[in-house]
Amino acid sequence: MRLPRALRRDTGAAFLFLLPLLVLVIGLIAYPFARAIWLSLTDKLVGYPERFVGLRNYAYVLDDDTFHEVVKNTLVFTVGSLVLKVLTGLAMALVLNGVWRGRNFFRGLFLLPWITSTVVIALTWRWMFDAFPGRGFFNSVLIDTGLISHPIAFMATPAGAMGAVIVANWWRAFPFFGVSYLAGMQAIPRELYDAASVDGAGAWHRFRHVTLPGLRHVMIVTIVLSFILTINDFNIVYVMTRGGPGTATQVFATYSYEVAFNQLRWGRGVTISIFLVPVLIVAIALISRYLLKDRE
Amino acid sequence: MAHRRVSRRHFLMGAAGAGATLALGAREAPAQKKAASLRLWILKTYVEPTNKAIEASAQRWAAKHGGSVTVEYFTFEDMQTKYVAAIENKNTPDVGQLETSAPARFAGMGQLLDLSGFAKQIESQVGKPPANVAPVTIVDGKTWAIPWYIMAPFWYVWRDEFEKKKVKLPTTFEEAKAAAHALNRPKDNFYGMGQSWNRTADGYGVMQGLMYSYGAAWAGKDGKYRSIKTPAMQKVMRWATDIYKEGIQPADTLTWTGSGNNENFIAHNIAQTSNGPSITFAMENAVAKATDAADRKKKEEALANHVALPHPAGPEGRRMWAIAMSFGVFKNSKDPEAAMSLVAHLLSPEETLGVMKDSYGQFAPVLDKGRAASKDYFNKNDNYRTFGKAAEWFVPTGWPGPITAAAAEVQASNVLTDAPAKVIVDKWSVDQAIEWEDKKIKEIYSTLGA
Amino acid sequence: MSPTARVFTVAGIVLFLLIVLVPFWWIASMSFKTYEQIQFATSIYVPKPFIWDNYTLLWTATRFPLWLRNSVVTAVLVTLLTTVIASLAGYAIARLRFPGRESFASLILVLYLVPPALLFIPLYRVLAELGATNSLAALVLSYPTFTVPFCTWLLIGFFKALPRELEEAAFVDGATRTAALTRVLLPLAAPGIVASAIFAFTLSWNEFLYALVFIQDETRLTVPVGLNLLIYGDVFSWGQLMAASVITTLPVVALYMFIHRWMVEGLAAGSVKG
Repeated sequence: MRLPRALRRDTGAAFLFLLPLLVLVIGLIAYPFARAIWLSLTDKLVGYPERFVGLRNYAYVLDDDTFHEVVKNTLVFTVGSLVLKVLTGLAMALVLNGVWRGRNFFRGLFLLPWITSTVVIALTWRWMFDAFPGRGFFNSVLIDTGLISHPIAFMATPAGAMGAVIVANWWRAFPFFGVSYLAGMQAIPRELYDAASVDGAGAWHRFRHVTLPGLRHVMIVTIVLSFILTINDFNIVYVMTRGGPGTATQVFATYSYEVAFNQLRWGRGVTISIFLVPVLIVAIALISRYLLKDRE
Repeated sequence: MAHRRVSRRHFLMGAAGAGATLALGAREAPAQKKAASLRLWILKTYVEPTNKAIEASAQRWAAKHGGSVTVEYFTFEDMQTKYVAAIENKNTPDVGQLETSAPARFAGMGQLLDLSGFAKQIESQVGKPPANVAPVTIVDGKTWAIPWYIMAPFWYVWRDEFEKKKVKLPTTFEEAKAAAHALNRPKDNFYGMGQSWNRTADGYGVMQGLMYSYGAAWAGKDGKYRSIKTPAMQKVMRWATDIYKEGIQPADTLTWTGSGNNENFIAHNIAQTSNGPSITFAMENAVAKATDAADRKKKEEALANHVALPHPAGPEGRRMWAIAMSFGVFKNSKDPEAAMSLVAHLLSPEETLGVMKDSYGQFAPVLDKGRAASKDYFNKNDNYRTFGKAAEWFVPTGWPGPITAAAAEVQASNVLTDAPAKVIVDKWSVDQAIEWEDKKIKEIYSTLGA
Repeated sequence: MSPTARVFTVAGIVLFLLIVLVPFWWIASMSFKTYEQIQFATSIYVPKPFIWDNYTLLWTATRFPLWLRNSVVTAVLVTLLTTVIASLAGYAIARLRFPGRESFASLILVLYLVPPALLFIPLYRVLAELGATNSLAALVLSYPTFTVPFCTWLLIGFFKALPRELEEAAFVDGATRTAALTRVLLPLAAPGIVASAIFAFTLSWNEFLYALVFIQDETRLTVPVGLNLLIYGDVFSWGQLMAASVITTLPVVALYMFIHRWMVEGLAAGSVKG
């Protein structure tokens, strides 16, 4: 079927405009992805040639205790920081919403963690929680105010270490939530608030029944986006704890790296990351419903 | 119209492409007969003067032979990964310093040049290494590297703490643990010991010393896999985990980086720790950098007060794993002749002694002539005399068998230090941890043969 | 505004100021301390003596200047590449009519299925085969894989939000598509393109995993990987490490001060308007 003239005229241009993107996607994303699948079916050990072994890696990973722990850790890390981010984001948006003069200034200032390199952030929080008094902020303060006499080794226990990496991840990301929710709040028509006030609704009521529903779209988008980014996160855990102590903070990305580059088992390392794909598919399907719906 | 659009885009992409090409690292010029251009990989130790001395020595070779040497560094932390990356990328250096198990590992991968003939030449010029060090470089009867020096761990203690509590300086692991209890003062944030099972030589090196001194091993004399589910290993695992459970170490010990124990010892937070001579270097350096007379006096006192004891022994004697650095030549080298010439130069007694004098005791030469000539240097004081004995107690990876590729992989896989971590952090039982470790080791041996 | 709301707001601002600024101050103050001060925990909160040595030593005695150069070169090249690819693709998807247009928009999202955490191993092999590893070329080739999807997405939204009428008016006047693009659209789209470029720069500047994996030579590292090396590989240079962290953060903060309004609009556009 011949395309109508108008469509035909654009197609050529579109092809040219999209060509660089296509080259990038096919050459540097799709092709390596295909190679990843192949690699996951081999027993590739660095320095030695690879051999096809079918689904052996998958069976091994599914049976691996450490992998089970990694799945759990990743979920705890992702969901834990997500909850904190949403709550703080809402708080930040509410606070900024109440500011008239200097709102832009504070909004800009509060965005600082979001634009800082995650390596610097991981380093910073590693030192905030350090047990060595000269470096550890919390320990210094607690000891100097006499609240404790021994430094607390925050990052030496599984729970403490996980808490520390969650805090670092939260600190880095909450401004994104705050700014998005602020924008979302400002997009809510005043009339809805006025109507609620007229009905005698108090602040909490207005928040629950006007603000939150109005933010629904933003919230879903930010939550799913952040979920996708956090579940893949490597930098924070790697720089702060290297997945330790033991494997207490080992997450998907760091475990994959560990297996591939420390244990030199590339086949297995890639297989571990591939387990992320189903989760991502669900997340992306969710978000595309929301993001694409409003686009004409 | 379409034409103009395309060319503008092409221009931009061309610019980007040109820029990317500029960003590409410089490619090596092909080696020419006369002017050899070699890449040399050196371990970056914590004693900066040593690193510089080795670089200077290499440059002297370059000047003498009209070639050029590019020195690149690897660290304690990325020792394993950097070489492996180079192997995968077919980008290995011409000459590389290889740590204890690396010659066996890389020879197993077919990456090294057979240096058996060259070794004989070196033997006649500089002598051989002692019998306990030689196995590091000999795999299946062929020589794959030439050993240069040993950087051994020693048992650092604060003398005044021991004298205060009238505790004898420890010679065995059991004594060290008992001493730690006696000296422990948690109320003052001072602990009896600081031994981290981290992924550095301070971790897996000491673990091997501990194991071998107790007679626990994962390979037999023939180099084949042997189960570690033995009473000796039980004792080892108990010692390794009791020091954590019994409160004689700082709470964050397990999470220390490679320099964590250095810092904690120098800050006088712990009474004992295992470390190479870099602690002595740090303290000597501190004296040199003292800001005023009072500060200087304080630093000098600290220097005099710290003692480097021989590493503790176990029931079966003193078997100390150490970093034995040797030189290997990679097969991909474009100019093996020049590479070997560089190695011979670095190994010569004059050059070796020159480097050693800048090493603050961490560099103990192993070839006959170098060793003999170093006796005076190590006679400086008690600590240095101990440093000089480094080679005596040396036992390589995979004891009591030869260093095989599989043994090297066991060390590189971190299973040796991950096992006690499972007891300490995840509260596994000692049996469970040994079982898990055994399974992992068995798997490595079955993958790599033997 | 009711008094309680005012108190809540002020308290909130103070709280967030503390949350945001205290960690930065901690790092900055450590960057002005000597090793002994940190080691022996003296004058913790305000460095005394206050020294600049860490900054000067960083410059003269470490590889930091090289790392900084590498980061800059990489970020600039990647930004150029990304802006070109993303602008073209974004415009095409937003404005041009062609079959399969919706699929392209979804394609961008689907790319998030292949994050760096998965791609780093096979990409490493591909780049090794191209001979690009251990050089900045590896980064210039691989960074667009995550900067381009994000920037394209951003620009689609941006182009779509621009009024069609101006373009169409230009066509009616007999202008070619190219002329319409350059004379009418580009000036309007400039804020969006600049915002997208800044995003690309920031993403590239802060990237860690690919740089860690693809480059081994110490002289070719970027700043984030160099910093990581200093933490774990070197001893006794905490002050310098902190100084390096401060210096690394400054360019992005500076860039950002100029365009933070656009950046925020871009962020908001992405999540609010969809």
